[in-house]
Amino acid sequence: MQTDTAAPPDERVRVWDAPTRLFHWSLVALVFVSWLSADQGYMTVHLWSGLSLLALLLFRFGWGLMGSTTSRFSDFLHAPHKTLAYLRTMAGGGRVLHAGHNPAGGLMVVALLAVLLAQVATGLFANDSLRFSGPLALFVSDDASDGLTRIHGIAFDIILVLVWLHVVAVGFHHFVKGDNLVGPMVSGKKQRAHVPEGATIIFAHPALALGLLAACAALAAWILF
Amino acid sequence: MSSEPLRSLSARIYIAYVALATGLGIAAVMVLRPAFGHRVLEFAGLEAMPKAMAKSFYTQRVASLFAQHCTGCHGQDRQKAELRLDSYAFAMRGGRHGAVILPGNPKASALMTRISLPAGDDRAMPPEGKTPLSPDEVTVIRIWIAGGASPTTAFIKGAPRLVPEVTFPELDADAARRMRAPLAGEVARLSALYPGILVYESRNSAGLELNATLRGQAFSDADLKAFLPLSGGILRMDLSGTAVTEASAPVLARMTALKSLRLADTKTGDAAVSALAALKSLKSLTVTGTAATKPALAPLAKRGVEIHGDANAD
Repeated sequence: MQTDTAAPPDERVRVWDAPTRLFHWSLVALVFVSWLSADQGYMTVHLWSGLSLLALLLFRFGWGLMGSTTSRFSDFLHAPHKTLAYLRTMAGGGRVLHAGHNPAGGLMVVALLAVLLAQVATGLFANDSLRFSGPLALFVSDDASDGLTRIHGIAFDIILVLVWLHVVAVGFHHFVKGDNLVGPMVSGKKQRAHVPEGATIIFAHPALALGLLAACAALAAWILF
Repeated sequence: MSSEPLRSLSARIYIAYVALATGLGIAAVMVLRPAFGHRVLEFAGLEAMPKAMAKSFYTQRVASLFAQHCTGCHGQDRQKAELRLDSYAFAMRGGRHGAVILPGNPKASALMTRISLPAGDDRAMPPEGKTPLSPDEVTVIRIWIAGGASPTTAFIKGAPRLVPEVTFPELDADAARRMRAPLAGEVARLSALYPGILVYESRNSAGLELNATLRGQAFSDADLKAFLPLSGGILRMDLSGTAVTEASAPVLARMTALKSLRLADTKTGDAAVSALAALKSLKSLTVTGTAATKPALAPLAKRGVEIHGDANAD
């Protein structure tokens, strides 16, 4: 499936596939549920939301390799000097169009995915000193489990900072640059004027996403059972 | 959802809004999470950390209970519910949900509520599987809070008596072996000649105890003299009921490490007692049933040696 972006400027063109958008908002919801459940002591809910996050993150890494054009790491990961050049252009009041993630946004995606994966991985070995331990905590020593629990707590603070930076950056595009990034992440479509001339986006088949998600969910469930 | 931007701001104004929102957000978290708020204020140098006095009731009685039962989860390494109980300042700050100690009001203090719950309760502290506080320990914390949770008060009326902690030294077999080495050969030889009457006072010590009462009248002055090679190692000697006489006085005078000597029901008297005057380590002497007289015992008693048994008046 392919989107031809050569269309009238006021027309809206599809840039995000459904799996990427569902991933994004599911991630938001699950991070919130994970925080709330841990805060309120509902550790069974926390376990399930954590494992769901694991499945979701594994899916995203897979989708970054085999998904639609704008979902692929190769589309939004750029060399540091290109990312710096992009930031300089933006700071100077210039504008650079990208159909998917811009270079700075791509960096944020990778940073968030990495920290979230670290958060989920340490959670598997963590304990709450009371009645709850992560499903793999028994495979490490108590000291190791306690150390990973501390990292689990620190990683959450890093996630909060990254999420805030992400929201600030999205707000910057929205309010300063006049580029709405939230709407397309919901509808999948962007105004033609905000998409580079001649950009071609190839969309992967949804069945591939379903198959990948099922495999990732099975892997996460295997850890539990 | 429309993809049109709502409005357009300059970068400078937007950054100002972000800075304001960030500040308000941090302030909100500081209010909602007092423990975080205290950390921020302390970091900014706007809040002092109150310290408890070394001889206060808190330091002497309460802090040790927190260390024993609580700081594993509420201490430097872990802060469950963002609560630390490893210092007076932290304890008074409280945790995620605010103060857990309300000075003067133990009934309303969350800490008291949690440590007073029955063991099966999910909210009981310490949690299931950990050693609960004893009733006396709960009382110590309750009366401290009732008395104002002071960092300085040294004495609170009605506090359960403090039971001193008894610690046993770790067994160091190598060290004990090294200490025993100089006399080990003689100990082995005499133990073979007189089985069952010569033992070390403890597993960590090189000090010896000689209990000749088991041999009764079969243990004579000559037998006691056989133990002279161990004169610097025997700490306690029980010769009660043996055939030891005044003739052993010179032998006793050379038992320089002796702390305790029992001569009950022996044919000893003033000569033996007088010979003990040179033993600076001697702390206890039993003379029941001997011929020892008060004048002979007087110098020892004056020196602080505990004399057990009636001495003859003359």
